[in-house]
Amino acid sequence: MAKVSYVVRQAGSSLRRNFTLTAASLLTVVVSLTLVGLSLLMQNGVSNSTRRWSGGVEFIVFMNPDATQDQLDAVNRDLLQNPQVSKVTFFTKQQAYAEFQKYYPDAPELTQVLTVEQMPPSFRVVPKVADENVIEAIGNQFDKKPGVYNVSYAKKSVEWIRQISEFLKWGSYVFATVLGFVAIVLIWNTIRTAMFARRREIEVMKLVGATNWFIRLPFMLEGLVQGLVGAAVACLGIIGVNWAWETKVIDNLSVAELKALVATSGQLQFTCILVLLAGTLVGAAGSGFAVTRFLDV
Amino acid sequence: MIRLENVSKVYKGDVVALRDASADIQKGEFVFLVGPSGSGKSTMLRLLNKQEEPDRGTIWVAGKEINGLSAHRVPFLRRNIGSVFQDYKLLTEKTVFENVAFALEVIGRPKHVVRQQVPAILELVGLAGKQERFPNELSGGEQQRVSIARAFVNRPLILLADEPTGNLDPATSEGIMRLLDRINRTGTTVVMATHDQGIVNMMRRRVIELDRGTIVRDQARGVYQ
Repeated sequence: MAKVSYVVRQAGSSLRRNFTLTAASLLTVVVSLTLVGLSLLMQNGVSNSTRRWSGGVEFIVFMNPDATQDQLDAVNRDLLQNPQVSKVTFFTKQQAYAEFQKYYPDAPELTQVLTVEQMPPSFRVVPKVADENVIEAIGNQFDKKPGVYNVSYAKKSVEWIRQISEFLKWGSYVFATVLGFVAIVLIWNTIRTAMFARRREIEVMKLVGATNWFIRLPFMLEGLVQGLVGAAVACLGIIGVNWAWETKVIDNLSVAELKALVATSGQLQFTCILVLLAGTLVGAAGSGFAVTRFLDV
Repeated sequence: MIRLENVSKVYKGDVVALRDASADIQKGEFVFLVGPSGSGKSTMLRLLNKQEEPDRGTIWVAGKEINGLSAHRVPFLRRNIGSVFQDYKLLTEKTVFENVAFALEVIGRPKHVVRQQVPAILELVGLAGKQERFPNELSGGEQQRVSIARAFVNRPLILLADEPTGNLDPATSEGIMRLLDRINRTGTTVVMATHDQGIVNMMRRRVIELDRGTIVRDQARGVYQ
């Protein structure tokens, strides 16, 4: 018990004493982890928003909600008979409704107003070719068929979102990795400085027979606190940005796919947990390197 | 209690600190290590609490061979060995009480033990009224007493002292020697490196003389020469 309070007291006083260094490493952790978290969240949002286009689906034939079974059968037959079509998946009204609920998980008022009957059934088509023009040519054949509401194309709807998100994803990963390294080095340096400031104490501790772990622990805790506090602040930042996106930005957007670009609350929680873990890791790595390097008996 | 067998230590650049040194020190002995600067006195002390490793030879401390002692056992060896230095190595931002208590706290002794042992040991070294003073408010002799209190508060089997009177005037040194003698009489083995002739001649204890790393004399009830 005396040991625990000793470790905590030492770590605390050391954090205060090295305020500027601590602040520097803390801020770096915050920026780095905020970037990682927002990037993860954005990927979640993009995959939520483009889920219907996964698995090579290049265009979707949406039917009218009141299309007859004969009309459905006709479209289905024509699609299957087309030599350029590799796979057709029929999506029922129920499935469309379920998907709609997934799109707007945090808007129960919307899903309550709409009923299963109002949802359009659809055919999701995987073509054999990748050529944009061929795909559009096939799609156009179905645009005017009876019972068809419209045909929408992956290229037009989501390709640009995918590209932007890919770009942002890799950009933020590279940036965050660099900053992550900087954070580790800064924490390492902070801990090294803290140990240098207390070198006489450490010398005495070694002479009277304190164990290496007893000497190391306050410094490791100090590094861990920096990583963890940084991660916690990053989490707040991520939650804040997410909140601003959902409440302030989305309403002013006109593009449906962007409007649908939201992460669920579960995904937000998961992202925060990941960020906290990453912060712990960064803090442990920085202080771990420092204490093993500078506390050899 | 302490045994060295053909111990050699060579520093980088072929500086021989200790050459083929052998000695046997019994429990409760008081031993002076004498010789000019650089003769290997400090190295010998540093080998005993594993601040240094020998290049050759075997060392036993408190009945254990310490050559092969693993790094995580070293702290437990040191709990049996008190160390006193010429420059005291006191922590200036801690009071006398805190300096001594520190040695107990960092090896995990509970609070009530600390509260009981520290005043007792400060009484023993003659600093009963100065618990709340800071080191820089004390004289050199008093600071060395604090350092001895810190080294002895855990009742080690062995006390190593490296020039403990090196910074003190003869009268103060005599007081420190009386204190070390008193500690020795409790059964603690004391090994003290010094080149203070007057003290060695006054005490008339065993003298091991080193010259350029070689033991040239090991004499019971010896003088400095």
